[in-house]
Amino acid sequence: MSWDSFIWFALPSILLWVIASLLVYKTNYRLISNILFLMGISTFLLFIILFWNHINRPPFRTMGETRLWYSFFITTIGFITYRIWKYKWLLSYTTLVGSVFIIINLLKPEIHSTNLMPALQSSWFIPHVTSYILSYSMFGASTIAAIILLFKLRKDKEDKELEKLIDNLVYVGFGFLALGMLMGCMWAKAAWGNYWSWDPKETWAFLTITTYLAYIHTRIQRINIRTSLWILIIALILLCITWLGVSYLPSAQESIHVY
Amino acid sequence: MHNKKRIWQIPWGYRESIAIVLGIVLVGFMLQATIGKFDFYLLSFPFNLYFGILSLAFIVLSVFLKRKAFFIWFTSLSFSVSLIGAITFLSIIMGLTKQVPIIDRANIFTLLGFNQMTSSWAFVLIYFLLLLSLGSTIAKRKPRLTKQYLVFILNHIGLWLILFFAGLGYSDLNRYIMYVEIGETQWRVYDKDSKVVELPIAIQLNSFTIEQYIPKLAVIDKKTGEVLPKDKPIYFQIDTNSKEEFTFNGYKIRLKNYIHNAVRSSDSSYKEVPMKASCPAALVEIRNNNKVKSHWISAGNKMQSPMFMDIDSNLALVMTPSEPKSFISNIEVYTQEGGYYKEENLRVNHPLKAGSWRIYQYGYDNNMGKMSSYSSFELVYDPWLNMVYVGIGLLALGSLLLIIFGKNYKK
Ligand code: HEM
Repeated sequence: MSWDSFIWFALPSILLWVIASLLVYKTNYRLISNILFLMGISTFLLFIILFWNHINRPPFRTMGETRLWYSFFITTIGFITYRIWKYKWLLSYTTLVGSVFIIINLLKPEIHSTNLMPALQSSWFIPHVTSYILSYSMFGASTIAAIILLFKLRKDKEDKELEKLIDNLVYVGFGFLALGMLMGCMWAKAAWGNYWSWDPKETWAFLTITTYLAYIHTRIQRINIRTSLWILIIALILLCITWLGVSYLPSAQESIHVY
Repeated sequence: MHNKKRIWQIPWGYRESIAIVLGIVLVGFMLQATIGKFDFYLLSFPFNLYFGILSLAFIVLSVFLKRKAFFIWFTSLSFSVSLIGAITFLSIIMGLTKQVPIIDRANIFTLLGFNQMTSSWAFVLIYFLLLLSLGSTIAKRKPRLTKQYLVFILNHIGLWLILFFAGLGYSDLNRYIMYVEIGETQWRVYDKDSKVVELPIAIQLNSFTIEQYIPKLAVIDKKTGEVLPKDKPIYFQIDTNSKEEFTFNGYKIRLKNYIHNAVRSSDSSYKEVPMKASCPAALVEIRNNNKVKSHWISAGNKMQSPMFMDIDSNLALVMTPSEPKSFISNIEVYTQEGGYYKEENLRVNHPLKAGSWRIYQYGYDNNMGKMSSYSSFELVYDPWLNMVYVGIGLLALGSLLLIIFGKNYKK
């Protein structure tokens, strides 16, 4: 099965995921939704297997192949996380991100071997990036919920359910962030002999993670929840700086992570 | 609750914790300004061992005294959060100021150690307090077979092991760059001060090869040498499996033959010759209004000159220089203790473990490329690395449990 047939697997997968992530909002259709989503994942996986078999080597070499794995892992891990946590929006979200990668692959299939520099040719590459994408999505959602809760609290309306949701999202997000970071350490060690070198991007990733750690620990002992919610908002700002802003800082002009 | 309590009245809470942690950071800044930066070589073996034993003794002591007001506070969430806050604060400073190995101009920031944060007194003091507090917190908690305890213990012990072994092991860590000529054995390196040092480990380089990516084709302006179109240069990837054509300004460009390891013959054609001086070459055909011509082109290298193909009086078709895909050393390693290791495929991302040493492919003679006569290696001696890996493993398990269980530990 070559790239030419990709569209015949990709479109059905997207269609199945979209229908599943719409049906999930209808109480009576949960089971069907689960089945459809799994069918989408299986269809996609089937293509990967057939394609792998066709090219006779593991499909990790080109940009297009890398995106194939992103789409697969995002939807699969998203589905598992949804099954554990029952957050319906998660299914919509993973469908969106997975589909974006697929559509890019359909419109601009970078199927020629890309010239990845040796340091990037690592099996940590895909899980590292996927884990980060997942954690960002959890933290983004938890911050929106935190802002909603802050408004509610201003009107003296408590919402214990929302509090729980925020805490759980942060725990799941923190898990993915920490995993992403640890995989980054393993990769860095293999590539240039250092698991941690306080490069500006690493420093910012570190202080982002300690800010979330502060949130988690202030929430164990009951202190004013508003303080914790503000920590969460600050943490997301720091996260965005780490992700997008570090390359613009004067302190980072020689960073190895600047691209 | 503690609003009714006066500050410093037992039990201590956030106000006292924040005050103390701020005080310690200030003490750190003052030490920095008076005696200069923290010298990590104070902690080199065996002093780090003594220090580690002392820390462990402190932690054991804390278990016996866990009902004393001091240790209740020392392992409290308010103190932990304040310490985490302090390390975050110091890291923000570090993230905003350029970190330098050597300070050339002194000012207020360098005086306080902002430019060398990880070896500044404030950072080191907070780091070790974190280590002690975290250790005592772990030790005082009763083990139970619950999800809650499992999450707690995996995350905290994992982190503690990493902090302990990475921090105390730092001064035992040594890294050197070694250059080895093909066919030779080397055990000498230059240290930071450019002095020759003999290591207890030697590398024999049997061979060194560079694998190159298949190059691309591009159309250039013959006068300026710029790749066209100027605003959005097009590079056409050579692909022997594809019949795709490359069209430029009505010229249809087609690949007829491609040789990855080619050497030019006297008649300007290329032949496959698997030797180091070879370089990629392609036979291409250009069609335009029924006119067809074909020609060999190549980017060349140190030994062979490049070949391009005229399209018309302004344009020429060229091949881009190949980018390295991987550089591979075939090495054998001998250690003073009689150890012997062998790796035929040493390359980036695939280091060789030799006892407490790890050997990384580092570089080669960039000027000569494939014809480099040497390969260079980074040798990292890190006797505590395995313990850090244990910590990383436990922390990874803990993270996984955070994802699965979340906060409310489902029943
Ligand atoms: C990866 C890093 C960390 C994670 C994921 C983490 C997570 C947690 C969690 C989930 C709890 C609640 C345990 C429970 O439910 O009983 C907790 C408690 C606690 N953590 Fe952490 N923590 C981390 C690092 C730290 C650090 C650096 C400190 C600082 C010293 C610290 C100090 C504490 C303390 C004092 C408690 C309360 C323990 C008790 O009362 O028994 N933690 N942590």
